[in-house]
Parts: sequence; structure tokens; C-alpha cells
Amino acid sequence: MADIEITEAADPGVSRRNFIKGVIAAGAAVGSANYMFRGAGSIFAQPTSPGAVERLITITVNGQQRRVDVMRQETLATTLRYKLGLTGTKIGCDRSECGACTVLIDEVPHYSCSILTHSVRGRSVRTIEGLAAEDGTLHPVQQAIVNEQGFQCAFCMSGYVMAAVGYLQDNPNPSRADLAHGLSGNLCRCADYNKILNTMEQAAENMRQA
Amino acid sequence: MNFLTWGTDPWGQEVLIRISWDLLYVASALGILFVGAHAVWLAFFVKEEAQPIDEAALAGVPEKVARHSLASRVFHWVMAASMLALLLTGFLPVIGIQFPWVTIHWVAGVVLTLSVVYHTIHATFWLGLSAMLVGPKDISDATSRFKRSVGQDAPAPRKHGKYPLENRLYHHVITLTGGLVIVTGILMMFRIDTPLWARDPYIFTDPTWGMIYVVHGLSAVSLVTLVIAHVYFGIRPEKRWITWSMILGWIDRRHYVEHHDPEQWAARSEGSSGQR
Amino acid sequence: MAVIRDMMSAFELFQPANVEDAAALLREHGEQAWVMAGGLDSFDWFKDRVKRPSVVVDLGGIDALKGIESTADGLEIGAMTPLTDIVRHPDIRERYGLLQQAAELVASPQIRNQGTIGGNNSQDTRCWYYRDGWTCYRAGGNICYADTPTSMNREHAIFGADRCVAVNPSDTAPALIALDAQMVVQTAGGERVMDAADYFIGPSIDITRMTVLEPGDLLAAVRIPSTWAGATFYFEKVRDRQVWDFPLVNVATALRVSGSTIEDARVVVNGVAPYPMRLTAVEGALRGGSRDEATAERAGELAVRGARALRHNGYKIPLMRNLVKRSIRAEA
Repeated sequence: MADIEITEAADPGVSRRNFIKGVIAAGAAVGSANYMFRGAGSIFAQPTSPGAVERLITITVNGQQRRVDVMRQETLATTLRYKLGLTGTKIGCDRSECGACTVLIDEVPHYSCSILTHSVRGRSVRTIEGLAAEDGTLHPVQQAIVNEQGFQCAFCMSGYVMAAVGYLQDNPNPSRADLAHGLSGNLCRCADYNKILNTMEQAAENMRQA
Repeated sequence: MNFLTWGTDPWGQEVLIRISWDLLYVASALGILFVGAHAVWLAFFVKEEAQPIDEAALAGVPEKVARHSLASRVFHWVMAASMLALLLTGFLPVIGIQFPWVTIHWVAGVVLTLSVVYHTIHATFWLGLSAMLVGPKDISDATSRFKRSVGQDAPAPRKHGKYPLENRLYHHVITLTGGLVIVTGILMMFRIDTPLWARDPYIFTDPTWGMIYVVHGLSAVSLVTLVIAHVYFGIRPEKRWITWSMILGWIDRRHYVEHHDPEQWAARSEGSSGQR
Repeated sequence: MAVIRDMMSAFELFQPANVEDAAALLREHGEQAWVMAGGLDSFDWFKDRVKRPSVVVDLGGIDALKGIESTADGLEIGAMTPLTDIVRHPDIRERYGLLQQAAELVASPQIRNQGTIGGNNSQDTRCWYYRDGWTCYRAGGNICYADTPTSMNREHAIFGADRCVAVNPSDTAPALIALDAQMVVQTAGGERVMDAADYFIGPSIDITRMTVLEPGDLLAAVRIPSTWAGATFYFEKVRDRQVWDFPLVNVATALRVSGSTIEDARVVVNGVAPYPMRLTAVEGALRGGSRDEATAERAGELAVRGARALRHNGYKIPLMRNLVKRSIRAEA
């Protein structure tokens, strides 16, 4: 018990979340050790079929190159949340029917529950964690939410934000109806749609000014 | 190879769906093997026994001996056509030749059923069933005939009645398989849309349906073997006079005297009244 | 909806970079191989663990199958082109608006960003008895659970049922058929080009497939001739909710009108049969007629001739009749 008290007292900055991230990172490092000495020219190298995939891959997430050990059948949402610790991306239905898991892949909104992580090799993934600037300045869409108090429970929020960022980059001057159509791939169980649209109208305004 | 195909019912339990289609290939192979083996047997192992023809007996026999009435012949060929249609529509899709087969299949099935119903009544009340019975004497005749064909000593068998033993046995096997395939086939029509009655797959439980499909499938693949054998005999050169009798209705007097026993089957002239 | 389970069953994944490699993989793995386009149909099957292929061949890495090109006579759309690209393509918007309207109404924006034209046309039916993994006719069994005295079959077929009463769920398929598009299919024996209408097959031909694609085949491209470029188009999709849903009934109509006379017509309806249904009888009746209320009325009546409702889908008959009617009559 004393240890724990001392630890907590000594470094209150280690949050539960960071601790979990650390454990995940350590696990990934140990797991990847297996792969480090498997190089070209090994006499054990098997001839592989064209298109065969390796488990250890590099994906670009929020501008960072991330080495990660990925199963063939793993979805991007699983990798982001449980391998990379990016739990801002939510999994709602896991069936591309709710939008909570929306992320940007090459700046286009996709349901991360319904795309294989192996399909984003060499592509750029942006999640809710990658929106704010280095100095903590919020993205215009995020700022609009703070200003308008756009969400109630906000489980769907990160998906909505990513869908909105993707949509507003394509169409900076949407009408309210356009916005409703553009964000129609996301559901809010609190049925806060009017407030969400108010927020997103302001978000569009913020983005135009930014 | 599998014998049966299983599926999962809505309650997650394994249910029989039908036989495995592997059996279709087994049945076809059996039919072809039988044909090959029989042809080799006849060509190389059977010692031809010259059948003396009693020229005197010829005189008392009409030139054309009536064998099958028009009604019988029409039945035979209608049944053959519907059977062939049923086998083709049933099994071509299985081997990968896809076409809309269900309607042809059930209509041919109805034709087969009606023709068999007609034949049953006709045979029972008009033709009589006695020509089809198999007795102890038939067995001893068959044993003798077999022994003599391979060169052993045996008492001379009687000549055939209207139908040789093989014909009668074949008919009985067909009666069994055909009967099963017809009964199960009629039940299966409750599963498809026909104008005959409302579709209702719940008149039986899933396991019962499974058995019905298995029986239908087993009978149907057996029919493949049986039809291969039947067609083979129908086109063998030394049996063609029998095939012709199913087309023309009569056999000539030499064949009658050579193969048939007047005591079991009295010759009647083709075209005379009372022919059956 | 099916019970949500945590993870897909394991499979071997191949992401070939060109069509030749994909074809070689499909040849190698035969019936074990599952061809995946956008993956939106595939993942439902995998996550519900109803289909558990041992090998998945993901076509997403084949750039040759993506993109829209102008040809001497119209357009060629790679099968792996996302629907969003089709919606935004200026030439499609301008000259083949029917396809643009249809593609815009598919599912949701995110799904359109990922779902492909090839996948939208090759997707499996949404009959829930079938998708729940029951061994029905379409799954290789010998029963249709959707057509019994007690079935819930509100979304099922009123035409073309043969034992199976499932419907084709595609929105772009009727538009492609109405535009006289052609499907380019890569088979082991080489390239086959067929009319879009011939790409879809009903249960009477093969009860376990929706399209002519056999194991090892790939839909490579869709070719749209200029025959109907710039014609008068009408697309309408009726569904229970305005996003995500598959059509209860949709209609794609192309008319070539001169003055008030209909010179030629294509009318295709989906959601009513196991395949998108081109209404040739309606087209024949329209040809040479004048584009007015009476003609539209007649076309609607003709469209539903021979329809047979199941227990709960009787509403589809007036729905289809009125959609066809609306697609013909001139805008007020």
C-alpha cells in the first residue's frame, strides 16, 4: 500500500489513461521484437503469394508513423482503440450503422469499424486526437462544440466531428440542409440533431474564418 | 465423400437437408460399371447355347404375336419421357448446368404420377398381376440358366413367360424406388409454389422433411443407376426385338417360339380382339 | 439485427496490387476465396460469423480497377470506384444523372466513400432469414423461411420468386440497366462483356447467387454507352428511413422525349424481385405514346401486371405502380 501512496504522491501526472497507453506500447514493443530479426535474405524465408500481408505493419496516424502488430481480420477501430490507445474513436454498432467510429482516411470520412487496418497501409489516418493543434488550440469544429454545447452525452461526438471536418473540407459553404445530408451517416441516440446542426453551422463559419 | 448433407435449423440444431450429391456420382459410376461389366461378361465369359427352334411349333403361332397393347406402350413412353425429364431437370443443376428447372420438374412429376396411377389401375384390373409374380420355379430356372451359361451341368430351364425374370425383378425395384420418389415428390410440392395447393413448409417438422428429402434423393439416384441399366439393355443388339415390341406392340413368331413358353404365355395374334 | 459478436473469425488476407495477381489468387484458392470490394457487405457476414471464408482477397489495392474514364462511346467506370466519386464526377452528373442520383441515395456518406459501384451491384440480398445464417434455399438448404404462412416478409419479392423470395437490394443496378450499361467480367477463360441486365440472375437459374459471378470471377468495370446520355431521367427510392436503408422499391427511368412524344424508354425497378427488373412491356407501351397522365397511368398498371404479393408485402404493388407512374409523367 505504501508503494502506491508514494507513487501517487511522487508523480501525480501518471494518469490511468497514460499508464494503460504505456502498457500497450510496451506490449507492442515486445511483440514486435519477434519480427526485428526476420530480415531479407533469411534462408528460412518462405516464397509468399503476391498480395500476402505481414502482421507487423506501419500506418500513419495523426501524422505519426506507428508500427503495429495487426491481425488480418482486425478493423481499424480495433487497432486505434486497443493497439494504439486512441480511445477517442468510439465503437457503437460495429456494423457501419451508427457513425461513432468515423475517422478520416486521406481526409475522407470512413467508418473505422468497417475497414481493415491492413487496408490503410500507406494511407493517412486522422482521428479526433489529431485535430487540435500542438499548442492545444482546438480545431474550429471542436471550438464550435464548446461554444454551442452541441452534444448531450457525446458518445457520438467524435464521430460527428470527424464526419463534419471531412465534409466541411469538401464543402465549406453548406446550407443547413446540405449539412444534414453531409452528416447523415452519423446517429445521435440523444436525438440532439437540431443542436448538432446549430453547432456545425457555427463550425462551418469558424472554418471559413480560420 | 459424404452420404448426407446437414444444415442448421433456426434453433441452432443440426438437421438433415438431403443426401450428399456425391451419391449422384456414385450412382452414375455404378450404372456405368454394371454396363461395362455386363458387356464384358457377355462377350468373353458366356458360352452361347444354341436354342433349337421347333419348326413344327412355328406353324401354330400367329406371325405377329401381340405383346403390348397401345395403352401399355403409350404409358411406357410417357413414363419414360417424364422420368427422363425429371432426372435431367433434377440432376443437371447439381452438376453445374443451371437453368429454370423447378417448374419443368414438378410438371413432369405430375405427369409421371398420373401415368403411374393409370398404369396401376390398368395393370390391376385389366392386365392382371399374374404375369409379374415371381415363384420358386422362377428361381430354380434362373439358377439353371446361369449354370448352363457358364458351362456347368444343370437341368434345362423352362422358357420365359410373357416377361423374363429379370424384367419382373427390374419392374419391382422400379415400383419401389418410383413409388418412394413419387410419394416424397408429392409431399415436396408443399414447399414450392404450384397452383395445386397453398405452400406450407410447416406441415412437417424439419427432421421429417429431412427424411423426405433423403428418401427422394436416394430413390432418385437409384433411378439413375436403374435407368442406365435399362437403356443399356434396350439398345443391346440381341435384345432389340424386345425394344421394338414396346414400340410396335408385337414380336415375331420366331422370337416367340425361341424364347417364350406357351404354357405361361399363350400367343395371341397382333390385331386380334382381346389383346392387352 | 444479428447478435453482435466481438470479432471476425480469422482468415488469410491477400491484397493484390493488380488484376493478374488477384486472378491468380482466386484460381489458387477457388471456392475458399472470398472476394472483397469495399467490404461493407463482407464485414456483416464475417462479424455475424455466418460466412467464415479461410481466404479473403481484398481488391482495394488494385488501382487499375478504380477511376472513371471517357471512352469513344461513353464512360468506363472501374468496378472499385467508390460511389462518392461517381456522385461527384462532372460527366456523370451532366450526362448520366440517373446513375448519379441512384448512387447519391445509397446508404450513408461514409458508406458511399468506401462502397464501390462493383460491390453495390454484386452485393448479396438482405433477406434476414438468410443473413441470420439459417439454412434456407439460398444458403444451400431446402426451405424458404420467408415464404410460409407465418413469415415476416414485408421487404420480399412480388415478382420472379422461385422458392426463394429475396430481393436484390442495389440502387445503382437499375440505373445501370436503364442506361444500357455493360458489365466487364474477368473469368478464368478471359474477359466477358455482358448487358447489365444479364449480370443479375434469379433463383430459378441459381438459387445461391445473385449475379453470374462464379468463384474465381471478378467484376472489372462497368461501361456506359452514350446511348442515353442527356436523356430525361427519373430516379426515386422509397425506404423506411432516409439514410442507410435499402430500397423497399426503387425506379430508374430514362425517357427520350421529342415534343410531348416518348420516342424511347427504359424503365427498371428494383426491390421487387430477386434481380433488378427491366419492364420491357412498359417500355414497349410507352414508345410512341405521348407523355401525359393517361400514359403514365397505363404504364403503372402494366408494370404491376402479374405481381404476386406475399403475406405482408402487398403494399409493394401500389408502391411500384405509383413509382413507375411518377417516373413517366411530366414534372408539373
